[in-house]
Amino acid sequence: MKVSEVPQDITYYDGEKRACYALDDKGNYVVVTSTGWETEAIVNELAVEDLAAILEETRKAVLAGAKSPLCYYMELRQMNPEILGKTAGIAVFRVKRHFRPEIFSRLKPSVLKRYARALAVSMEELQTVPQPPKGR
Amino acid sequence: MNNELTCAGKSFYHLHAAHCESGVTAALFRDRGVDLSEAMAFGIGSGIFFGHLPFVKWVGLPITTYRSRPGTLFSKVARRLGGEFVTKKYYKFPWKADRTKEGMDDLRLLLRSGNIVGMTTNIYWLSYFPDRFRFQFNGHNIIVLREIENGFRVADPVLDHPVDCLTEDLERARFARGPLEPKGYMYYAKSVNPNPDFRKACITAMKDSCNMMLRTPFPFVGLMGIRYLAKATIKSPQVLGVREARRRLANIVRMQEEVGTGGAGFRFMYAAFLQQAAALFGCAELAGLSQEMTSIGDIWREFAIVSARVIKERGSQEETFAKAGGLMLICAGKEEQFFRDLDSAVGKLKA
Repeated sequence: MKVSEVPQDITYYDGEKRACYALDDKGNYVVVTSTGWETEAIVNELAVEDLAAILEETRKAVLAGAKSPLCYYMELRQMNPEILGKTAGIAVFRVKRHFRPEIFSRLKPSVLKRYARALAVSMEELQTVPQPPKGR
Repeated sequence: MNNELTCAGKSFYHLHAAHCESGVTAALFRDRGVDLSEAMAFGIGSGIFFGHLPFVKWVGLPITTYRSRPGTLFSKVARRLGGEFVTKKYYKFPWKADRTKEGMDDLRLLLRSGNIVGMTTNIYWLSYFPDRFRFQFNGHNIIVLREIENGFRVADPVLDHPVDCLTEDLERARFARGPLEPKGYMYYAKSVNPNPDFRKACITAMKDSCNMMLRTPFPFVGLMGIRYLAKATIKSPQVLGVREARRRLANIVRMQEEVGTGGAGFRFMYAAFLQQAAALFGCAELAGLSQEMTSIGDIWREFAIVSARVIKERGSQEETFAKAGGLMLICAGKEEQFFRDLDSAVGKLKA
């Protein structure tokens, strides 16, 4: 890759830059900053969209009463029951059980507190999921 | 803007690096007066690698890696250049359930005694990254320079300037749970050999890299790994269905370009290392190999571009999974030739 070929297609890193190794005119390697590459954006966007779609589905399921808000916040933090269980210090089978809204609503505050800490959300937030923005 | 002060009042010059671990390693050595570039650290740590682990799932997709396992690069450089580092890890015991506070206190103590401390963190909890780069990955290396008001000054080699990190974020990032958990892993230099033997270290490192790529008796790593993945990619639309195959391919490219700067990035970095090594040994053969590696990196990039078209279904006639897999096979062939040449070239070098 030559210096002139270092991708500067888009500003993808929110103002940050990424270092790339490229050859200058004399054939020596130098570090050049890149603002973003379209190819990278395509593949990353696919993964981000995937996650967002799953999250949205879960949010609807919570509003419909099929899942507990805990499941939503777990997915928001890109965790799975294993990671959440370890972080909160609660057995995985219990975490999975707490995805059921009727069981989640009966949880003791001490358990909720551990979840809130593990997920970095407040206790009040953990009780509900955000509503969709108005006008949509 | 890249000149920073450490806690002891020593100046620290932040260099923008392409990869976190090699960047951190090089910075720790530079701080102790050894002139070590990032590419050199990457080469001496034998960072170049390939592995595809179909049975290890990460967010439901198999892991593809283009560099050695996190943590090995640093320890190899330290060993080969004769640096003595103190490492600390906070294992959990039933009678010591939460060691977060202990870990943070130790960090503050070290900073106050004038050290800069490298550590492994979970990238999701480092909130100074743009949101779309934050995912649960427990292998990001950063350097903490000093404590500031309710936070720490952090030199993240992947960013081109030092940043502030909240104490709370750093706590979470250091003691995140899940696969490869960092357990508060941190390391700092105790003593560093001021005049390391670069020639000897380079020879050992290049031999090590050749062994890893050529002679690993395991079908998922090294060149066999590339070939395995290439064949799997060609067959994937029939085996997995087009949608899932597309996700898999996107993940391969994502691992190549995003996660820890990616395959092509690593190939170019290794080429930069070979160029520096060629100057060190005065060896034209290594310079030629550096150019060879550059051309391999270019093919990897082309693979990424073709894959992105397949994923986006642009020009679906000629850009197919078979073409993407074919490019990967070309890479495998060229890399095999490259590492065989490197192997014989290294044999002739004298420390």
